[in-house]
Amino acid sequence: MGVPALFRWLSKKYPKIISPVIEELPEEIDNGNGTKTKIPIDSRKPNPNGEEMDNLYLDMNGIVHPCSHPEDRPPPASEEEMMIAVFEYTDRVVNMVRPRKLLMIAVDGVAPRAKMNQQRSRRFRSAQEAAEKDDAAAEYHAMMQAKGVSDPTDDGEKPKKTWDSNSITPGTPFMDLLAASLRYWVSYKLSTDPAWEKLKVIISDATVPGEGEHKIMNFVRSQRSSPTHDPNTRHVIYGLDADLIMLGIATHEPHFRVLREDVFANDTKPGHCRKCNQPGHMADSCRGAAKPKPGEEVIEKPLKPFIWLHVSVLREYLAVEMSVPNQPFRFDLERALDDWVFMCFFVGNDFLPHLPSLDIREDGIDTLIAIWRDNIPVMGGYVTKDGHVDLARAQVILEGLARQEDAIFKRRRETEVRKDAAQKRREEQQSRRDSSKRQRVSNDASGFDETMIRRGPKGGIIRGEQAPDMNALPTFSPGQAQTRSDPRFAGQAGLTHADIVGNANKANKSAAAALKEQLLNSKRPADNQKAELESLFAGTGGNGQAGSGSALGKRTRDMIDDAADDASTAPSTPGRNTPNKEIADPMSKGTSGALGGNSKDTQDAMPEDTVKLWEDGYQGRYYEQKFHVSASDVEFRHKVARAYVEGLAWVLLYYFQGCPSWTWYYPYHYAPFAADFVDMASQVVTFDKGKPFRPYEQLMGVMPSLSNHTIPSVFHPLMTEDDSPIIEFYPTDFEVDLNGKKFAWQGVALLPFIDEKRLLDAMATKYPMLSADEVRRNAFGKEALIFSTKHPLYDEVATNFYSKKATASPKFKLNSRVSEGLAGKVEKEEGFVPNSELAFPLPRSDGQEQYTGLEQCESVTVAYWMPVIPGIHKSMLLPGVVFAEAQLDYQDVQQTREMARKSGR
Amino acid sequence: MSTESLTYYYPPVFNAPGTHSPPTNLSAGFDSFVQRDDGINEHLDALLDTLQAHEERLLQVVEDGDGKLEDVRTKADIITWRGMMTKILTAPFDIFNEFEMNATRYQGTIFIEENHAARAARRTAQNKQPPPRGGVPQEMMQYWGYKFEAISTLPNSWSECSREEIEARDTRTVNNNAQYCSIVRTGMGARSLIIAGEVDAVLGEKPDSPNDPIPWIELKTTAELTGHPREAVKFERKLLNYWAQSFLLAVPTIMIGFRTPDGFLSRIQEMPTHKIPTMVRQGSRTWDGNVCINVASAFLEQLAQAINEDGGVYRIRRKQGEKLIEIFEVGD
Ligand SMILES: [Mg+2]
Repeated sequence: MGVPALFRWLSKKYPKIISPVIEELPEEIDNGNGTKTKIPIDSRKPNPNGEEMDNLYLDMNGIVHPCSHPEDRPPPASEEEMMIAVFEYTDRVVNMVRPRKLLMIAVDGVAPRAKMNQQRSRRFRSAQEAAEKDDAAAEYHAMMQAKGVSDPTDDGEKPKKTWDSNSITPGTPFMDLLAASLRYWVSYKLSTDPAWEKLKVIISDATVPGEGEHKIMNFVRSQRSSPTHDPNTRHVIYGLDADLIMLGIATHEPHFRVLREDVFANDTKPGHCRKCNQPGHMADSCRGAAKPKPGEEVIEKPLKPFIWLHVSVLREYLAVEMSVPNQPFRFDLERALDDWVFMCFFVGNDFLPHLPSLDIREDGIDTLIAIWRDNIPVMGGYVTKDGHVDLARAQVILEGLARQEDAIFKRRRETEVRKDAAQKRREEQQSRRDSSKRQRVSNDASGFDETMIRRGPKGGIIRGEQAPDMNALPTFSPGQAQTRSDPRFAGQAGLTHADIVGNANKANKSAAAALKEQLLNSKRPADNQKAELESLFAGTGGNGQAGSGSALGKRTRDMIDDAADDASTAPSTPGRNTPNKEIADPMSKGTSGALGGNSKDTQDAMPEDTVKLWEDGYQGRYYEQKFHVSASDVEFRHKVARAYVEGLAWVLLYYFQGCPSWTWYYPYHYAPFAADFVDMASQVVTFDKGKPFRPYEQLMGVMPSLSNHTIPSVFHPLMTEDDSPIIEFYPTDFEVDLNGKKFAWQGVALLPFIDEKRLLDAMATKYPMLSADEVRRNAFGKEALIFSTKHPLYDEVATNFYSKKATASPKFKLNSRVSEGLAGKVEKEEGFVPNSELAFPLPRSDGQEQYTGLEQCESVTVAYWMPVIPGIHKSMLLPGVVFAEAQLDYQDVQQTREMARKSGR
Repeated sequence: MSTESLTYYYPPVFNAPGTHSPPTNLSAGFDSFVQRDDGINEHLDALLDTLQAHEERLLQVVEDGDGKLEDVRTKADIITWRGMMTKILTAPFDIFNEFEMNATRYQGTIFIEENHAARAARRTAQNKQPPPRGGVPQEMMQYWGYKFEAISTLPNSWSECSREEIEARDTRTVNNNAQYCSIVRTGMGARSLIIAGEVDAVLGEKPDSPNDPIPWIELKTTAELTGHPREAVKFERKLLNYWAQSFLLAVPTIMIGFRTPDGFLSRIQEMPTHKIPTMVRQGSRTWDGNVCINVASAFLEQLAQAINEDGGVYRIRRKQGEKLIEIFEVGD
């Protein structure tokens, strides 16, 4: 679930949930002949973080995306190279965590229908953007050639087409290769790395339906339901989505951590490109690194550090925040935590648009918590129970919000107006200063008309007369523009996560105070960089000056945060790069057409907001303009609200019990107002479990025709031919409604909803024409359990499946003492022969020698079945749990209590 | 023994960091409590019934193809209830401990049971004593223990119980039905023993295989410590009994519910059995687990030599305040 800004919001409000990961890196020894030998880490040694971890779960799409189309490095040359990058990144994460019992690798399989609308919107935008980028690059290339300008980094070849990240969708040839590669890599590691001898590895690849992180959730719940589960299991989940921490809360396992890159950390030197690490240009104009001249050292970028998010500490904060003095029923932390997760859903999730009056940036969650706390005596109990919503109590919350709704919209408007005025004032002042200082750079090498684009006073690019509002740049992409290395951040070199949220774990002071201090201290380097930067700008065609540190302080911080949030949402979020073009890409002159509203003059092009939420009668205008129904049709509003209630019920069950329906989805592009929820108590919500889509059905449901290379060719005509019965599902041009927001990515892509029956009927006629291999890729698969032949489980599996005594029964229940805690059943893996050869699944590339085939594979692969939970999973702690020592001191508790009393109102 | 049932531990409160649970009233429901004959009948015939049932269970396991037939017959030098062995094990340090037991040898195995006449006499004498002034009646204190067990256990494993079932524990009628009887084969010194005793609950699940250890948990209530050094010593002496009982049946965990003087549960604490002797060694050293085991081993050796043929009834006696355990024949 990508909730923009959630991660920043959580780490600011609850500073002690974060701590840095202590990582041991492989040492490099100089061989004296110009070569180096890497000494691998022995991860059997104690975890340098002072605590051992049992299980590591990888939400694998969070590795595959950045490795296949990295934003801070040149893209891999081939899919093979991508796989090697995935291996290496995964290896690093495993070495960091050193799981002692289990590693689960979960790749997104086909998602529930409720998610597909968002996937579809992302993929349509992403394909369009890639096409625009390729066009721009080709145009630039052609232009340079025509001018006879030779780029020293250009080898004269035409620019490569951007790799289509839409390939990271179940059922594509790429995902097939990924599945084979992961199995190979795990078997290879189990056979060659002694630290893996005790590890059990579960691979849930894209053939197993379900989103990666939710397959992980299913696994954790299934293990908890087994009475042999150790309640003190130390879990770590790696992933990019900020809501993994909410999933961690939802497991009710108190020893749970989320692991992610510290996206705030510096990774490139100032003035250097974040892709190739070379000075003199920025990432967006990166043409790849120049080959080092003989004798020149290759500058390697330092690895980005990682951070822990401790669910145990968040539990402590919430234990204080969610307990209401004199509440009329027994305080149950686990139930209160579930309510908290539920309230977070209102502010954003992947399945429902957020309510217009709730925005994470306006502390929407606090607003709801305040309402919840006020109404605890009225409600007489918690709003949710084991993933089920008490609709009568939810109504109380929504009524509380409805009472504030008008005021929230008015307040939002006032803030905007005030900000705009301040911005205008700054611009006017600056343009006065500019006109007296302005110097033109003639003979500009890049050949663009620099009167169109110039550096703004704070370092941003100004097009025409408009500067983008720096405070509203949540879209600032870490991939294309540069964050800390960006000249705009010159005064801020050295900011890390701790600087931003305050290093609460070391100094006992408020995050705000800590931050202030950090910013004051970080002004120093600004002066000596100024000159360097000015010359740099002259070189790239800009003519502005670097901003001075102190004035930049807050905004820079917001931009870094927002950039990070952006990275924290799905890496394929479309439109992410787009606004950045306004800032960092002097080449693109309004290439975006269909995406609308974000092409050249961002604010000029912005349509006027005619809904005017801050003026009376906004409900009528909203429904008229967004839903195209009469302003007087109040029943329609209730209908939308009822669908939204279903959605809330669906999402809650999805998080706490697993997918309640594969086919349900919210059938509108917009959310209702809080005031539209009426008589919820009488609504009966039930779900039909249904079946997941087949991989090709999902591909046809989410892909634009631009990405049809990911789909078997027999289906292509359905996407492109005029006489296709479903041609309207694949518009090449579609509207993006900014819906009051400033940038395209924040807007709503108005794509038609897929009609399941029509889609399946149309596809049915083509199925007989699929090749055998294509049919294979469309099948559902099973989870695989892989472990070393040195693991005690091996004897059990060998006896049951591969000995003379092997019985006919293809499945057996694991003895959790032998499996060291893993509960479930295993089944013989068809076609697997123990002790046979391990083949390298990729074409051999020259670049790497580390990964090879093995003459004898010393791991075993079996199919794995999670235990079935009797009844439902209960949001409760397990007997025998021993809590970690409290991390909040008296002052933290007092502060949290005080904050709970005051905030959100 | 038909009412015996395996119960599953689920704590009444979790002291999660940041949370404060209000104290639970352990006296609640006392009025509706019906006291049955306390605990199981620790006569020899009951012990033999128990063993037979145990053997039948083992036989079934062997028939199902897991386990060996020679393990089914419960053979040992000494067979007794856990209660008897606890008294012997704690004898070196428990000065108030007094007991009378009967022992006899049958087919080479010595059986020990309590001398019920002596026990009944002691009971009557105890019950005649009025409760200390302003103090809590004996029955109420006992009820607190039962109530604590009721709010700490489930009839099925956690995942098989509904939330409603779990939350209803607070209001469930308390009983003192016979509990699950566990039988342990062990050894002390050169002598092999079979010990049977009631166990309170299992933490997690009874493993499928009889070869795997069972994660039993023993539940105890005791007065909350107020910080007075004398109380710490008193608590340590109590730990001797807790430890001995759990040690003998290989119960790995003891969960202690601390209560206020008027019967409110203030907190719970789980303790690994094997760590208790170390705790005491680092505390006031009121007892020493190794000494206990050595003395008990020596005693069993003496007993085996004293009762060296089948037939005849022997008395094992320790009088209060005396440092010796007597073994003498009382007839057949
Ligand atoms: Mg995912």
